[in-house]
Amino acid sequence: MVDRLERLTDLVLVLLRDERPKPLREIAAEVPGYPAEGEARRQAFERDKRTLRDGGVEVTAVPIDGREQAGYIIRPDDFYLPALDLAPDEQAALNLAVAGVHLGDPSGRDALWRLGLPASAGVRPFADLAALPALPVLYDAVRRRAAVTFHYRGDERHVAPALLRFRGGWWYLVGFDLDKEASRTFRVDRMEGSATVGEPGSAEMPDSFDPAAALPEEPWRMGEEEVVGVDVLVDAGLAPLVVAEVGEAKVCDRRADGAVVVRLEVTNIAALRSWVLELGEHAEVLAPDSVRRAMVSWLEATAAGARVVD
Amino acid sequence: MPARADAGHRLHRLLAVLTCLARQGRAPVAELAERFGLSPDELIADLELAACCGLPPYTPDQLMEIMVDEQEVVANLGPELARPRRLTAAEGFALATAARAIEAVPGADPEGSLARGLDKLEAVLGDRDRLRIDLGEPPYLAELRHAVATGAQIELGYYSVSSDEESLRVVDPLSVVVIDGRWYMDGYCHRAGDMRRFRVDRVLSVRLTGEQVTQGGPDAGSGTPDERSGGVSEAAFVPGPDAVVARVAVDDGGLWLTDALPNLGVDELADGRTVIRLAVASTVWFDRLLLRLGPHAEVLGPPELVASGRLAAARLLDRYRGSGTGRS
Repeated sequence: MVDRLERLTDLVLVLLRDERPKPLREIAAEVPGYPAEGEARRQAFERDKRTLRDGGVEVTAVPIDGREQAGYIIRPDDFYLPALDLAPDEQAALNLAVAGVHLGDPSGRDALWRLGLPASAGVRPFADLAALPALPVLYDAVRRRAAVTFHYRGDERHVAPALLRFRGGWWYLVGFDLDKEASRTFRVDRMEGSATVGEPGSAEMPDSFDPAAALPEEPWRMGEEEVVGVDVLVDAGLAPLVVAEVGEAKVCDRRADGAVVVRLEVTNIAALRSWVLELGEHAEVLAPDSVRRAMVSWLEATAAGARVVD
Repeated sequence: MPARADAGHRLHRLLAVLTCLARQGRAPVAELAERFGLSPDELIADLELAACCGLPPYTPDQLMEIMVDEQEVVANLGPELARPRRLTAAEGFALATAARAIEAVPGADPEGSLARGLDKLEAVLGDRDRLRIDLGEPPYLAELRHAVATGAQIELGYYSVSSDEESLRVVDPLSVVVIDGRWYMDGYCHRAGDMRRFRVDRVLSVRLTGEQVTQGGPDAGSGTPDERSGGVSEAAFVPGPDAVVARVAVDDGGLWLTDALPNLGVDELADGRTVIRLAVASTVWFDRLLLRLGPHAEVLGPPELVASGRLAAARLLDRYRGSGTGRS
């Protein structure tokens, strides 16, 4: 009885060596451990192919002349990467990076194994970037410039993906919405079901599209409302934290008691309201009147315990 | 790694061991086993199996040349096995993400070893500029990381949302980590007499006390990082023993709450609203959450929290109606 691992190892070596696709009959003659013939042999081979594919080794079937009609080969380009020529310090740095960043699965370690880089042990991770199952698929689509289709907030979206971005604890897909013909940003954790990936190169987007600019830094900029300049007063205690968050340039008044007024360019009033309310009783909207009145109405409705009827 | 791992995983691991051996020719058994999460016996068994593999007709000259004794493995495997192999989508993503995350740490050298390694990798994978990671840079991050690196004790000015107060406390900083996209500092707080986790973006001041840290850091212990206190896989918010469980009903306008915070469970009400159970360790924090939810939320219980949102809104309205607190 040949160990299955031995059979798989031999299979890889045989399929990789030959430049000519081989029919199963020849493979079984060369690789010890397959059943003599017939359906059992076919099933064992199909199972081995699946195991190899799950492990990232692609066995290609090619039509050939003869009784069996299909031959099999592992193409070197599917198996090997072009030479990387990593210097020892670069290898060590990649090792430390994988050890330092926790993604919730062993893919990073597996990558180092495939590159033949020794894995280091005992490094304490410093960052946890909650990886989502959809991310590798989307990343592959971005790399191959392949259009993706997925469900988002009840609609089917067709998107030319341009950039995957992690910020503020969330993963975003930045892309060009092919139906709406406009730049859009999607929270990856809110995609419903799995994404379908089109052919490589199928994602076309205008030259003017700049994915790096598509995701604004501040929550109150994440909207498409007309820009309103909103003045927010922050009391002395929280002023340093708020100034650090929004930037010194936004400060339009510093008061004697240490309070500051910041002026924010807002395109999403609901997000601004949420941001101001997180500061509790230490902040208030000063101007314009329309935004201040809307805040007062919101608080009045909350104080009255009124429920919104949609 | 379980000893009876499935064949696909064993193959993946064996090929990695062979790649490693093909590159360096020889390796101590113990070191190689540790690197791949195997016991020395498991490694030797796999290598003895591999020594029977090769190409037809499987005569000795066609088999892999691997010699194992109790101390060392010596192999002569030829250049092909030493080549780096294609990465799966998940592996490529994981490697690029790890490297990009390290590059996103403020102060990382944009032309250092990692950047050069990543450049070479991305040139081969064909994915330049397709992945971006922002970790942010709160004002005192550099000081805190420096204090951790040098083992310096600090006096920390900190704004605590849960008590809505500023405080000064002496802290032995032990590590600075990123969880859910935010920077935190773990340290031994002398005021609390216990380990505490601080949000770096709420630090108001950092002053060196001139003392070294007195508490042994998490790195002083043995065991895997996850077994030590304060590892990054620990949730940023763990309900304490004093936490009260509130039931909050929200309509569609308040459903963002289910995404934004860890919760203890979600149910549907007959009227179409969703009930979310939340651990409330701080009433100040809960009040502010209710202000943001506004008329989209109703607290169903416990009784002492039912009026929280209404009262918080009324207090804030006083400020808006007050004369001259804000407007001058």
